Formats: sequence, C-alpha cells, structure tokens
Amino acid sequence: MWDTLYYFIMVPMVYIAFATLVLGLLFKFAVVFFSPGIKGTLGTYPRRLPRMLGIIKDAFAVPTAFNKTKVFWFFIVVYHVAFVLLFIGHLELIREFKVLQIIPHRVFLGAGWVGIALIVSVLYFLFRRFRSPHNAISVPEDYLLLILLFLTLFFGSHMNLASRHLDFQFDLAKSREYLSALFTFKPANPSDIVSPYHNVMLALHVLFANLFMMLFPFSKMVHSVFAFCSLNLKRK
Amino acid sequence: MEKEKIQELRQLVKSRLNRPMRYYLDVCTRCGLCYDTCHAYYGIPKKEYSPVNRAEVVRKVYKKYFRPSGFAFPYWGDATKLDERVMDELKEAAFSCTGCRRCMMFCPFGVDMPHILSIAKLLLIGYGNAPEELIMLADSAVEKGKSIDSFKEGYREVIRDLETQVQERLKLPSSEDLIPMEKQNADVLYVGLSGAHSIVHPAVIFNAAKENWTLSYFEAVNFGMFAGDPEKMQFIANRIVKEATSLNVKEVVIVECGTAYRIPKFLLGPLPFKVTSIVEKIYRYIKDGKISIREGAIADALTYHDPCQLGRNGGVYDEPRYVLGALAKDYREMSPTREYNWCCGGGGGLVALDNEDFRVKTGKAKKDQITATGAKIVVSACENCILQLNTIKNGYGLDVEVKSLTELVSENLIV
Amino acid sequence: MSEEIKANVTMDLKGLACPLPVVRVSQQVKKMKIGEILEAETTDPGAHADFPAWAKSTGNEIVKIDKGASSTKFYIKKLK
Repeated sequence: MWDTLYYFIMVPMVYIAFATLVLGLLFKFAVVFFSPGIKGTLGTYPRRLPRMLGIIKDAFAVPTAFNKTKVFWFFIVVYHVAFVLLFIGHLELIREFKVLQIIPHRVFLGAGWVGIALIVSVLYFLFRRFRSPHNAISVPEDYLLLILLFLTLFFGSHMNLASRHLDFQFDLAKSREYLSALFTFKPANPSDIVSPYHNVMLALHVLFANLFMMLFPFSKMVHSVFAFCSLNLKRK
Repeated sequence: MEKEKIQELRQLVKSRLNRPMRYYLDVCTRCGLCYDTCHAYYGIPKKEYSPVNRAEVVRKVYKKYFRPSGFAFPYWGDATKLDERVMDELKEAAFSCTGCRRCMMFCPFGVDMPHILSIAKLLLIGYGNAPEELIMLADSAVEKGKSIDSFKEGYREVIRDLETQVQERLKLPSSEDLIPMEKQNADVLYVGLSGAHSIVHPAVIFNAAKENWTLSYFEAVNFGMFAGDPEKMQFIANRIVKEATSLNVKEVVIVECGTAYRIPKFLLGPLPFKVTSIVEKIYRYIKDGKISIREGAIADALTYHDPCQLGRNGGVYDEPRYVLGALAKDYREMSPTREYNWCCGGGGGLVALDNEDFRVKTGKAKKDQITATGAKIVVSACENCILQLNTIKNGYGLDVEVKSLTELVSENLIV
Repeated sequence: MSEEIKANVTMDLKGLACPLPVVRVSQQVKKMKIGEILEAETTDPGAHADFPAWAKSTGNEIVKIDKGASSTKFYIKKLK
C-alpha cells in the first residue's frame, strides 16, 4: 500500500502536476490571447524611465512596497530572490549545469540558508494575514497557498539541512537518475534517493510541491507571469 | 435573484472581460499595499473604501462565474453568487470611487481599480440599480447628440450674448465673431461645458492669442463614462469626434474637465486630430509669447490641486505650475503632490449625486493638505474638482478662495 | 401666451457649476405632480441645449423659454 502510494506521488502525480501546470498556463495564455484588446491606453504618469526599464524596476525592485513599508518590502525581496535560488537548486537536482558551477558549490546554493530565508518570509506573509486589516481582505486561497508553501519548504529544507549537518543520506546521483528518467519519460521506481527511513519526508515534500504546481495556474500565483503585462499597461 | 437575471448579468461581465481586465482580475495578491491609499478610506476608515476591497467585490463575482475554481470549489477564492446583497456592495464600491487611480501608484502590479469597477457599474445598470442622476445625464447627452440641429439656434443666440462680455474684457470695437461656431478648417475646436465661465474665459484667451478657433455645440463632460455605460460613453464622445472631423480642425482643446480630457486623449484610440487640455494651450501661448499675463499679480499664498485625470492620468503636471508660478508671488506645493496627490473626492460623477455629507467626509485628506500649505487661494483645472473643493471649503469652513486656472489667467491677462 | 403660464415652483440655478442645473431640475420635477410647471432660471448658455435634450429624453415638456439680458427662464411642464 505504502509502496504504491509512494510510487504514485513520486511518478504519476509529478507528471499530472507538470501537465496541469503547463496546460493550465497555456489555457490562461489562450484566454488572454482570445480576449479583446482595448482601443486606448490605461497608463499613468510620470514615466521617468524607458518602458522596459520601468517595468523591470517595478517588477523586481518593487518600489511601491519600498515606499510604503520597508519590512514588507524586505521580505518580498528575500522571498523572491530565495525562490529563484531554490528553482536553480532544483535544476541542479536534475543534472549538472556547468555554468552554475562557475562558483563551485554543493547542490542547493546558500548552504541551507536559502530555504530558511524562504520559510521565514512565508511565515511573515502568513502571520501578517492574521491581523487587521489584512485578515479582512484575505480569502482562503491566500492562507492555503502560504500553508502549502510552508509545508513544501519545511520538508525540503529539512532534508537539505539534515543531509549537510546530520547523518541523513541524500544521494545526488540517485536524485539525478530519478529526475532525468522522469524527464525522458522512462520513469524508474525512486526508492533510494534518501535512506528508506526518510522516504516519507521526501514523499511529503514532493506531494506538496505537486499540489503547488497544480494550483499555480489557477491561483494568484499567476502574478509571476501576468504582473509584467499589467505593469506594461501602466507605462503604455 | 432569478436564473435569467443572473445569466443576463453574467453576459454583462463577459462583455467587459478585455485583455487588461483579465490581467487585473488575476494578478492581485491582496498584499494590502493599496489599503489606505484612497481618499475615501482616509476620510471614512472602513474596509469597504479600501481599493483592494472594492476590487475584491467584483473579483469574487468574476471567480464565481468565470473561473473553474469558483465553479467547482468556491471556498478557495471566496467566490460569491450574484444576489441583492452583492449588488449593494457593488454599488457602494463603484460609486465611492472617483476613478482617480491614486491606488494604482501603490499597487506592485499596477492594477487599475476603476477599470475593474467598470464591471460593477455595468452590472448595476443591468440590474437597474445605477444612480439615476448619472443615467439621466448620460441620456440627456445622448439625446442632445441625436437632435443637436433643433437646439442650435437657441444656443447660438445665447453665445452671441457672451461675445459682448468677451468684447468688453478685450476692449474691442466689435463683438462680431468673437466666439465663432461651425467654422470650417479652424485650427482649434474648443469644447466647453454648460456654464458661461467655461466659454467666456477661454474665449478671451483665444482671442487675445489670435487663435483660429471655433466653439463646439457640445459639452465636453461624458456622463456615459461616469455612469459606466460603454455604449453611451462612446456615443457621447463621438459627438465631438464627428464635429471635429466634419469641421476639419487640427486640434481639439478640452475645457478644464478631467474626464472630458482623458477620454479623447487616451481612451478612444487614434483620432485624426490632436487632443489638448486648455491648460496645455495656455502654457504654450505664454511660452510662445502669444499672450502675456501680469507676472506676480497674485500676492496671497496660492496652491494648486492636480486634477487626477489631468495629472496622474494625463501627465499634465508642469504646465499649470509654470503658469501659476508666473502669476503668483507665493506659490506653495501641496504634500504629497503630483502622482501621489490626494484626490479631492469629486470625480467619477460623484458631484452629481446627492451625497454632500459623504463628499465632505471623504474630502478630509484634501482639506488637511490645503490647510497644511497655509494657502489662501486654491487653484485647480477641473470643473468637478472646483465644485468639490468648494464643498470641502464650505463643509470645513476653510478661509480660502477656490479658483479655476483659466479664470485666473483670463483675469490677469495683459490686454 | 407668456402671461398664461404660471409656475408652481421656481428655482434659481444662476451660476451653478456643471452638471448641477440639470440635476437640480430633474430632482425637482420628480417631486412635482403631473401637469405642474417648474420655472428654472439659469445663466448657463448650455442650458439652451441641455434642458430641451433632458426634457426630450425624460418625456417632459419645455412650454416656454424666456430669455433675459443675463439669464434665461425655462418653464418646464411635468408630463411623466
């Protein structure tokens, strides 16, 4: 029973999650593409920077948050930078990227601090929503996504830290074998990436990550894609 | 609410789901950065007047009928069915918003809340719950467009009376043709409002600048936009577009009226003529030496209120400051200013509604700003703002004089 | 003809900013009975087109326009 469940989470569900993510995003793009444009422009003034530079500044430096609350801005930046670093870390779990090893490092940049930073940011975002006025404007999605992210990060970060500092077996070669097999559609049963005692932890991490990917196109997470479009309208 | 009605309203939402709307409805993370950025919230600190909450009222309806999650699992996004309570919430959201778009300056994704609220306004029209004053004004404007020929003679007659006033101001020998109408191939078609002040002062300035101009038969303001009816908005705007194209003018100059400026300038798409605000025109006349004003003529401390549609939404910031800087000995800037300037609370057609008490309360931010400058004269360049600034002045008993920029220039013109 | 018209209500709309004259007239007419006449005095040149357009769109009737030197009196009969 457990073996079947483990296999389901680690193989078919990963495919389902990826398919949902990709098809969901394609569906979102199609909906936008087939929606009518507008005749005029919805921009605001002033526009001190050229359009592309302005969009990049607005999206990545988040001046709106910086001007309002520095603490929130700090966690927004930490969260997004750490998210990108973790994404890179997971790419390295699939196979080695020479370009990423310009600065030689053990897989997962940041020696475990990236995951911790992300967990702290997520908890900040979550606890922030419990108090007024944010509780009044939040919907279940806001809490559930943060809880889901927390759970994913908690197990992922734990495995990373434990493999660095404790006697926790994490086999990078096996992980690459498993993930590249998934990518080439020749999945094998991933039984020994971590020691058998820790399979539950890995399975939970992958389960929550799968759920996160499946929800991505249908939740506010699409801001990571459409924010550039809406910021473009502001300067068009 | 009956199923048929819901279906009908659903179609109305669908008609507004253009590309920008899709982005705006999807990207909001409810981060709350906009929460306290609305002047209405500043005056009445209620969740209902926070921009994010206003947008959420619409977004929850959208989720219910247009998102798979809203249909299958409404709990996820708190998707809401259309019913009487939601219609009331939509009304409170839509008609407490002036469309100033100040909140957009604080949104990390640049979400245009008034654009989202255009769905609410359309739903209210479909439900028969839209403010009747705005619907009535939009209908009158549409009727005027349809039957303008039967009103022309009466209008021309009163315009002739105004020509005498222009003649007196400019000390000219004759009043003939001082306010030309239906002049083919004029350089400028000026579109005013109903009031004499919106025609006489610009006419004085145009004549002083020896402009080849003509006056429009129509009023520039667009109540179709305020009411939230896209078809009427288009019809009302098209009256002026048709007039301008049939007269073959090069430029359409819009009276001091924010929405009247924003619609042809930004919302109608490309037009075969240039659209300018009278404020920009005055600035150019002074810069080019076509008119002269008495520099430093105003000794009292003077401040300028940026109309949101002209400043934040139109980019006209420096021109009025140049003109006022020349006229006033003691020009004082409001704080915050320019794109962060607080809305006065009169836009979006709100001044036409029976809501003076609400407008006094929601004008508190502007009152505080004016008081902080210590100015004795508050100038603006939008009829709605002027009207609302006077409501604020009377409501709080401020010892200030509210003036329009065009009026101030006309009064201080060196003839 | 002008002597025959007697207004039930009179309104002074002189100098009011846009769009108040039409709004006030519309609000007042709503309160009146069918057949009654409102005399509205305004300095707005635009009223010469706005009032007739309003009357046409709302189904009321302007029975007389009395143009003076600086203002105009509109006599509006409530029909609906």
